[in-house]
Amino acid sequence: MPGACFGLLGPNGAGKSTLIRMLYGAMSRSGGEIRVLGLDPETGGRELRRSIGVVTQEDALDEQMTVLENMALYASFIGLPKSIAKTRIRDLLAFLALEHKVNAKIIALSGGMKRRLVFVRALLGNPQLLILDEPTTGLDPAVRQVLWTKIRALQQQGTTVLLTTHYMDEAEALCDQLVILDRGVVRVSGAPRDLIAEHSAGYVAIWKTALHPRLEAASLHQLTAAVDQIPNKPDVIRPANLEDVFLKITGKELSGDA
Amino acid sequence: MPEFFVLSWRVAMRHWAIYKKDFFANILPTLIDPALFVMVFGYWLGAHITQLNGRPYLTYMAPGIAASTALFTAYFESSYGFYVRLVYENIFKAVMTTPIGPHEIITGEFIWVALKGAIMAGLVGVVLFAFGIIKVEYIWLLPIMGGLVGLACGAIGLIATGYVRNMNQFQTVYALLISPMFFISGVFYPIDQMPRALQYVCYLSPLYHGVRLSQSALWAEDVLRDWLIHGASLIALTAILMLWAWRRIYPKLYS
Repeated sequence: MPGACFGLLGPNGAGKSTLIRMLYGAMSRSGGEIRVLGLDPETGGRELRRSIGVVTQEDALDEQMTVLENMALYASFIGLPKSIAKTRIRDLLAFLALEHKVNAKIIALSGGMKRRLVFVRALLGNPQLLILDEPTTGLDPAVRQVLWTKIRALQQQGTTVLLTTHYMDEAEALCDQLVILDRGVVRVSGAPRDLIAEHSAGYVAIWKTALHPRLEAASLHQLTAAVDQIPNKPDVIRPANLEDVFLKITGKELSGDA
Repeated sequence: MPEFFVLSWRVAMRHWAIYKKDFFANILPTLIDPALFVMVFGYWLGAHITQLNGRPYLTYMAPGIAASTALFTAYFESSYGFYVRLVYENIFKAVMTTPIGPHEIITGEFIWVALKGAIMAGLVGVVLFAFGIIKVEYIWLLPIMGGLVGLACGAIGLIATGYVRNMNQFQTVYALLISPMFFISGVFYPIDQMPRALQYVCYLSPLYHGVRLSQSALWAEDVLRDWLIHGASLIALTAILMLWAWRRIYPKLYS
């Protein structure tokens, strides 16, 4: 569905990045079948990658180059004619509020700016499908909000988005549909709101002390009634969210290979 | 197919774009080393050697320096240089989100080391000519020799990258392979001075054949014969090394 955002969630080592790399043909698969935009990434990878953009987990920018040089390089990799590339780069830098850095060396950019530049790089080919592999890891809340707005704007223009993230608020804010993956297996799938309704209690009370880790109930009324039985007041009472679902599905314990 | 070469060429041009950013820092060692060798061994030590195989010592050893320059520039590029791109800068992870795939990346590396070998050998040739050390008729053959030695020794660097577990281990490869190759490949003396067994080992050294190509071209002697024999040998060795490098590096990029 054009313009939709699909989330791929899971703990470290769940197989998200592996799956993503298989989807755009940067990794082979041991079996099964994959079709992306009607193409098999293993045989039609080069063709496929003309229609998709990838925000890689690593910035992988050429640090010695300037912003413009680096983007021009990638425009040449995807085969954009120079005249089109020039306008496209300028428009995208403006879209991600980087136009004032056009001649700056990449090594001089902040982490948030580098991340935005990786978005520019991914969007150079005007992709139908945009793959975001942990796009906002390590960024401050303001930059994250900006990037979310940009992602939503792209969706409105019809770009389909595939997102992996460790941030449940990010998945809740962006995804129309998502799956939670654990050790290579899909555990649950659905719309975030449906998953919360189905897999969590409804409301949660949390104490910061270890004595009462948490209390859950279907309604706020029931939860307050239960909390009233306990002498210590909880630190937080809130509606259940995707994080509660995630922890329930994948287990709270850190597995050895996580 | 043409698109394959266009994309591979763009990978090579990416490396050139980075290289020229620090052009003087990059080119200095490539030219200073040959200049030192010519000065120290050619002029100063060579002054005490009247003749070697019927020619002044400086003239004897100068062609070998052009060949070994191609060796060093290609080996360092495809060992340390490639390793940094692959492991530290993660460049290829970003490149592989574009229509460029692992085949184009490896071919681009080969194009780049061949170009570097050709250009550096050519530059050394020009310097040697400027000092009046060599003959000029066949100097145009020098970039071809440099390109071939660059490809072969670039392939050795890529093979090394395929085996090392960290960057320090390139020093092992340098100490056990590259450095000995430099000293036994006939740059400084004819290999028939060495024990027979070692001479056979020499035939497997791409540098040895590069030195012979360079000598015949810059002395303007037996050019056709030497280029047929040593050109064919070098091409064969290069092909084997490139194939080996390809099989070793491909899984590092795509698995």
